[in-house]
Amino acid sequence: MIHLNNIEKVYRTDTVQTLALNSVSLDVAKGEFLSIMGPSGCGKSTLLNIIGLLDEPSKGEIRIDDQKTANLSDKQLAAFRNKKLGFIFQSYHLINDLQVLDNVELPLLYRSTTAKERKQLATEALAKVGLSNRVKHFPNQLSGGQKQRVAIARAIVGRPEIILADEPTGNLDSAMGNEIMDILIQLNKQDGTTIVMVTHDENMAHKTHRLVRLFDGSQVQ
Amino acid sequence: MLKNYFKIAIAVLRRRKFFTFISLFGISFTLTILLVLTAFIEKVVGDNYPDKKRDRSLYVSRVSQIGKNTTSSGPPSFYFLSHYAGSLKTPVKIAISSGFSGTNTYVNNKKIAVNYKYTNAEYWDILEYDFLEGKAFNKLQVDNAEKVAVISEDMKKEYFGDVPSVTGQYIEADNVKYRVIGVVKNVPITSYMTYSDIYLPYTVDKSGGYKSNKSYQGGYFGILLANSKDDMDKMHNEYEQMVQRLPVEGKQFDHVYSHADTYVKSYVDSGDENHSGTFIAVTAISIFVFILMILPTLNLVNINITRIMERSSEIGVRKAFGASSNTLVYQFIVENIILTLLGGVIGVILSVVALQVINSANLIANLQLTINFTVLFIGLLVCLVFGLLSGVYPAWRMSKLNVVTALKAQ
Amino acid sequence: MSNHLNQDIMFKHLFKLIWNKKKQNFLLMSEMLVSFLVIFAVFTLMVYYYNNYKKPIGLDYQNLWVVDYNNTYNTKNTDSLNSYYENLRQTIKSMPQVKEISFCSDNVPFSQNQWTGDVHYKNASPGADQYLAEDSYVATLNIKLVEGRWFNKADAVAKIQPVIINEDLKEKLFGNDEAIGKLVGSEANKNDMRVIGVIQGVKAKGDYAPAKAAIYKRTDTGSFHWLGKIMIKVTPDADAAFEGKLYKTLANYMRSSNIEIEHMPYKLKSTNLFYVVPMIITLIVACFLVINVALGLFGVLWYNINKRRGEIGLRRAIGASGQSVSSQLVYESLILATLSLIVGIFFAVQFPLLNVFDLKAGVYIVAMILSIIFIYFLVFVCSLYPGRQAAGIYPAVALHEE
Repeated sequence: MIHLNNIEKVYRTDTVQTLALNSVSLDVAKGEFLSIMGPSGCGKSTLLNIIGLLDEPSKGEIRIDDQKTANLSDKQLAAFRNKKLGFIFQSYHLINDLQVLDNVELPLLYRSTTAKERKQLATEALAKVGLSNRVKHFPNQLSGGQKQRVAIARAIVGRPEIILADEPTGNLDSAMGNEIMDILIQLNKQDGTTIVMVTHDENMAHKTHRLVRLFDGSQVQ
Repeated sequence: MLKNYFKIAIAVLRRRKFFTFISLFGISFTLTILLVLTAFIEKVVGDNYPDKKRDRSLYVSRVSQIGKNTTSSGPPSFYFLSHYAGSLKTPVKIAISSGFSGTNTYVNNKKIAVNYKYTNAEYWDILEYDFLEGKAFNKLQVDNAEKVAVISEDMKKEYFGDVPSVTGQYIEADNVKYRVIGVVKNVPITSYMTYSDIYLPYTVDKSGGYKSNKSYQGGYFGILLANSKDDMDKMHNEYEQMVQRLPVEGKQFDHVYSHADTYVKSYVDSGDENHSGTFIAVTAISIFVFILMILPTLNLVNINITRIMERSSEIGVRKAFGASSNTLVYQFIVENIILTLLGGVIGVILSVVALQVINSANLIANLQLTINFTVLFIGLLVCLVFGLLSGVYPAWRMSKLNVVTALKAQ
Repeated sequence: MSNHLNQDIMFKHLFKLIWNKKKQNFLLMSEMLVSFLVIFAVFTLMVYYYNNYKKPIGLDYQNLWVVDYNNTYNTKNTDSLNSYYENLRQTIKSMPQVKEISFCSDNVPFSQNQWTGDVHYKNASPGADQYLAEDSYVATLNIKLVEGRWFNKADAVAKIQPVIINEDLKEKLFGNDEAIGKLVGSEANKNDMRVIGVIQGVKAKGDYAPAKAAIYKRTDTGSFHWLGKIMIKVTPDADAAFEGKLYKTLANYMRSSNIEIEHMPYKLKSTNLFYVVPMIITLIVACFLVINVALGLFGVLWYNINKRRGEIGLRRAIGASGQSVSSQLVYESLILATLSLIVGIFFAVQFPLLNVFDLKAGVYIVAMILSIIFIYFLVFVCSLYPGRQAAGIYPAVALHEE
């Protein structure tokens, strides 16, 4: 499903050059739940951003669902992300001016769907994460765990094949964190969604299929 | 899709009330000032009372003689208009009237300032005054130098008081008694070629200047009436050719200049042959408008950028979930247009209030400013220009935002 | 460490901060720059008006009337023309409410008429308003004579035409030198006029315009052919009834002439309006622009604080007091303003250097100083409240939000 070959990422400023990723190769199979772990600064978030097509590698090749992504234009990349990818961030990044339902509908706005379809899909997604009774609320009326659940609903509403989660439980206490993990595991089992998760938490990581460790930009095992 | 843009725009505007207030304040007040200015110009230039045949009239308000070191410029004399302009074939009629002069009348130990103006009979045929009473003097009365007068509404009230009719009564001006034969609706002083308190036949002019002054310059205006709009060019050219054949009146001059122009050109004519009066007027107004708008625009651009930067995380999220740069720019532009239209509506309301205040203060007598479609249209145009100007640069900045940076920035 | 040393280090530190962020602050500085230029223009106008307003008007316009007539007495005989008008003069002077009377040229003070020409002396040839006046002119208008004397009867037979100039013309022709007795010319290389007196300038265009260079020539026996105005000084009790009587007398005497009587205080008001109205409009517009800028500044500064909550929290954590955090913000804004003002002053100083509009350099300099103070004040006020907000940020909360 996801194929990374010799990915290198260098950050350049006027005077300093930082090698964030050094020749990383990775294969993620369809339906797999992968964790990426490593100390701070090891490049795991960078790797996730590259997989999510939010950032370009300096060297190397990416293929997602057998599609080479290197030469796609901004518009094509956007469309690709919209169809195939879903994101979950550590600090949720919900839009505070919109109600929960509208937040979840967001990815569908960039496809051609009718308002009725959007509402239906969003309601289903919210039901899946157990938040049907908070549809009309605003994000700042929710707890951390609830916010992350809304974010998950948003990530799956478009039925993407891949979900990328960057420290999804990082801002939550252990109880809520477990809840979130359970939802993700269920998504993976029931719908067969491929999930790549970056995490700090060993316990969470061990619940997944596979664990990849990064150290100073390189893969270690 | 548009409905979503709309919903988000309103939500954003309501959340950051202060920013919204600043933007609305800037837009609405700038618009108000521009609308008041436009209403004023539109009134001065567009007001066609009593000048209803403007589209087939040409105006002569100046004769200049220019030499190497000397210029002599001023209104034409009666003789110039009746003799030279009168010799043209294209005009059907020529109205000749003096500029208005001031004098005083002393009635019941009260001093009344009176502006009077001399006209010929054709003046009343070309211009269409609204007569509240009576009628104008005719050719016969002019030829006989009858001491008759047409007075304005305000003059009637000031001189005679609140009486129903004054036709037939006598009014004294400049130590001469005239019989009132007509009362007309007021003309504001900004229409300086047709304004007066008292209109008299030119033949009653005590100084006799209309007879004795055979030089080119004097104190009169001329209006040439063509048969139809199509004759305007022909009339203009015939006049130009006639002027070119005129000899100069002294060896210090090289050339005689005079033009029969449309109303607006004639109104702003300053006598400078090298610089068109219209050009100067338009330039002056443009500079004023530019200076007026540059600060609010800069301000708005600043505020808009601030608004965008504030929402960088939202922009990052949208991009991550598949919005292309263009989509986001469109949303932002829609927000901006909504904001400016809202500011525009407020501006229009404020303009109406401002015009009411100006009209009731009666700073220039009888000048009633109104908002009409021209003014409204210009207002909307200005709004749109504002919205685009103040949104383009920030939108461009926003489209360049990298997703990762945007998300981190929060 | 002494307070001064602290502040010095603080400024250097802040200056570095701002210089590094100059790209972000570019828009804000542009706004400040344009505001400065606009305020500079407005202040220049106001200072100019005020400077003119402060100077004395140069004549006593209360109870001073001016009669406008056309000379329609048809005769080529100068003697009969003179006796015609002398007769009129006596008639008017004999009226109890008349104190002084003087015939003069059309360009009386506060009128739209103008008559200019050059006056030559050595290499200088400034333009000056030309006036034709009688011996009684100075008493009628109560003009201040600062040097020499006014015209008298003996001047009728003077070989060289005697003239009186005002202080402005004196300065333009002679600088600090003596003026009395010098010969000037109506054309280059001519010495056909002798200066016999200097008067304080008359502000002929109203309170707000300067007294332009002026030269006064004496009427002679032929002048009545083209004189058209009579200045009359009346007693305070001269009312509309008297004016009516005066009017009738004039109209009956000069039957073919149009007569108009105007009061100088009223003429002054009309002339002043010509200057005051644009000024008021400019002030209203400028006021609105300033409020707009102030609000904008306020908003941007407000946003900046919110953006830098982390930085502010950090500074508090390492020991900055609330007071120092808010003064930091105020100082930063003032430094931004200074950078903009430096560019602004560069542009503004061109005006006195290039002598634009022929205004005295002093006007521009005063306007510049006032504008600088104004901008600093504006920026200071707009950063006070946001600064205080910054002081209220608790480090724990701010840092935790990260």
